[in-house]
Amino acid sequence: MGLLQNIIFGVVTGSYIAIAAIGFTLIYGIVNMINFAYGEYLTLGAFIGFFAATTFPIPLPVAALVAMAGGGLASIVLARGFFTPINQTGPVPLLLTSIGLGIALRNAIRLVAGREARYYDTETTTFRFDAIPDLSVGSVDLLGGFFVTSEQLIVVASAVTVFVAIHGLLTRTDVGIAMRAMGDDENLARVRGIDTQLIRDSVWVLAGVLAGLSGVLLAIQTNVNATTGFSQILQILSAAILGGAGSPYGAILGAYLIGIVLALSTAFLPSGMSGLSSAVAFAILIIVLLVKPSGIAGTEVREA
Amino acid sequence: MSALDRIPTDNGDLALLAGLCCVLLGGLFALTPLRAQLPSAFYVFVEVGILFVIYGLLVLGLDLQYGHTGLVNFGHVAFFAVGAYGTAMLSAQDTFAGIGLGYPWPLALGVGVVAAALVGLGVSVTSIRLRGDFLAIVTLAAAEILHSIFVNFEGVFGGNVGILGVPRPIAALVGDADTRLAATLLVIGGITLVTLAGVTRLTSAPYGRVLRAIRADELVTRSVGKSTVTYKTQAFVYGAALAGLAGGLFALYNGAVAPGFFTIQVTVTVWIGMLLGGAANHRAVLAGLAIIMGLRLISRFALDVTPVSSDVFASIRLVVVGLILVAVIRYRPAGIWGDPQELGVDR
Repeated sequence: MGLLQNIIFGVVTGSYIAIAAIGFTLIYGIVNMINFAYGEYLTLGAFIGFFAATTFPIPLPVAALVAMAGGGLASIVLARGFFTPINQTGPVPLLLTSIGLGIALRNAIRLVAGREARYYDTETTTFRFDAIPDLSVGSVDLLGGFFVTSEQLIVVASAVTVFVAIHGLLTRTDVGIAMRAMGDDENLARVRGIDTQLIRDSVWVLAGVLAGLSGVLLAIQTNVNATTGFSQILQILSAAILGGAGSPYGAILGAYLIGIVLALSTAFLPSGMSGLSSAVAFAILIIVLLVKPSGIAGTEVREA
Repeated sequence: MSALDRIPTDNGDLALLAGLCCVLLGGLFALTPLRAQLPSAFYVFVEVGILFVIYGLLVLGLDLQYGHTGLVNFGHVAFFAVGAYGTAMLSAQDTFAGIGLGYPWPLALGVGVVAAALVGLGVSVTSIRLRGDFLAIVTLAAAEILHSIFVNFEGVFGGNVGILGVPRPIAALVGDADTRLAATLLVIGGITLVTLAGVTRLTSAPYGRVLRAIRADELVTRSVGKSTVTYKTQAFVYGAALAGLAGGLFALYNGAVAPGFFTIQVTVTVWIGMLLGGAANHRAVLAGLAIIMGLRLISRFALDVTPVSSDVFASIRLVVVGLILVAVIRYRPAGIWGDPQELGVDR
């Protein structure tokens, strides 16, 4: 396989990570917490979409919409129940609460749904491009034939749609502008008459909707089980911090960087060590936090 | 003056005395023909007890880092694993996979502790300045990296099989299972008690006051002329070394190490135990850990009387554990025996 093919894989991975990372980073910027239970929101979305698509046979796009609605609802209910009451205690108790909630949710899902993996029933068309000439540099083939599946195209197209929608929301609507104002300075926003609790709630709903969509896309690419989302949480988190925690645009950039690094390290690490690809992603995260802790675009996270 | 008057009343010294007694008693079982008889219903208690005293070392180290200094280390299992792997790789003979050098076990244990301390030094030199929640993420990511290195470098660390053939000093001395379990529990429990005495001494000294001052307000501490970064690094390294000691003892008790023993679950168990008991109080964190690990016992016994599979029961237990963590932070942020005023939390 050539480099081009691996970059395509990376872009697909980056796409669903990006959708989730936007939700994650919005929560970080506005509620000021690292939500470690966010992976479970993805799992919830994947399950809701799966059961919607199988129990009452509805087409997959509609099931994805149901999953988004379900994700948004679950997110606001969980936030109201667990995070809003301790909003004032600071980032560390919130992080610990989300870790506890994540364990409880993950195992509750496993309890209800069992351990086996389920698969979305999708029809895939594969588009092959074999006529591309090889362009070898050393042992690495820079071009080469490649293929894309219709599933992969759908994932990337959904991601682009989300980016446009989020950009529109944050720049053109009152809610979005209020969100950015709150991310900037919460007290100032309140002084200007913004109902901060309402904005916080809408961020939770938005993050849940994005998690639902990302969960369905992730599940189409892999499968649905109790750890579908949890297996991605560190990648999502890395993407969000890489991009500068709190910045949705940075999160998109970070997600594609993580996705491509994951794909390339899977492809080019010696065989038997391909499991190290996630370690490579975390190593990038640590290096970024050490060298430029504010991420690609963002604020200072060091104290001393 | 009778001997009774000379028994220390101070907590730390009492723990030291009790710890030394335990080690002596354990040594007595191990070295003399003295034999212990355990009722068979007792086995499970002793097994969980041994794991508890090993995790006790972990929670004491973590409490030094988080409870006293305020360092949010969410990758504690990494240092536990480094200590275990270091000890195992140096001492193992005829391991099935990975490297086993076959050196004597006391040397291996020492190297394991030093290796964990060095990894702790590496992490703290690079990341100790990060804000609380970001330090948590970096330590968590470091633990995940280490875990995948242990799994993937099969030639060195034995992959998923891990390192087998680690010498078991107590098992080598004692033949029958009952005495072996009793001696192991006493020796490791004694070491944990001696450690408890050590950290109590450390934290009741002026040194410990500086650590707590850093947790309360780092800027103020720095402004009175304390090098907070140095203190934080030291506390982090001490905690890591204790975790390394726990790992080394675990390897020598278990006779094998594998990545499956060193998952994020260990970190979570220790954290919940610490928060439940009450951070910054050494005996409270041990009690909290005992409660959390007691849940394992309950679920084992409940398994026999209820008609559900062990899989389902493990899930239920983890749901309960997760909700306990959530409830503790919300309703008793200082833990059961913690001091809310000292920890600076409301309610």
